[in-house]
Amino acid sequence: MQTAAQVDDRVFTALADPSRRAIFESLTRGEAAVKELTARFAISQPAVSQHLATLRAAGLVHGRREGRSVYYRVAPGGLRPLVDWITQYRAFWTDSLERLERLLEKMDP
Amino acid sequence: MTAPSDAVALELDLAHAPQVVWRALTEPALLSQWLLPIAELELSPGATFLFQAEPQPGWDGRVNGRLVEVEPPSRLVYAWVVGDLDTLVTFTLTPTATGTHLAMQQTGFKPEQGRNLAGARYGWNMMSGRLVEVLARLAA
Repeated sequence: MQTAAQVDDRVFTALADPSRRAIFESLTRGEAAVKELTARFAISQPAVSQHLATLRAAGLVHGRREGRSVYYRVAPGGLRPLVDWITQYRAFWTDSLERLERLLEKMDP
Repeated sequence: MTAPSDAVALELDLAHAPQVVWRALTEPALLSQWLLPIAELELSPGATFLFQAEPQPGWDGRVNGRLVEVEPPSRLVYAWVVGDLDTLVTFTLTPTATGTHLAMQQTGFKPEQGRNLAGARYGWNMMSGRLVEVLARLAA
């Protein structure tokens, strides 16, 4: 069973910031260049670039250079550590409830 | 029942009366046999308890519990706290012609709002905005 501490801290840290979360959510709607993202949010281009670097380090987005622009998109599976956390609990409860059924058979045959 | 994407939800039909299932859900000696080791459990809302499993790397084996709802033999709700993870576990027992329909749900795989125990990890909130939908979409 995982605790939150074992889920990659970088994913949590990256999504902890409301601006980064907004940028990430925005990218789920499609690829965008830094310039486009800057236009969407009331933050400076260097700040957007910094946020994107943090998201990229966390494995949440990919960057692709084309000419003088870098285009960013959501990395498939970037949120997997969070999903896996829930998946692990699902497995834990499935096993536990199977044990419960066997116990009930012994208690109340 | 469709599980929200921040929840674990399982259901099963048991060939045992709700009273028997309730015992297995609430008596420490029985709970220890199917869920996790537990020494004592006072069945009143607000009472705290401790599941103590074998420590593992990254987990001290402790699950801290706190009873929220106790309605024998139909509903049992408790907080399930492991380290940073603060969730709610709900058991609902419904009598059937052949025994009991048991629904189990664990919800709240998100940091509590207003808590700031260890910095950034608590600053984000899956339930806010659309991130929870994003998560479901990407996990699909």
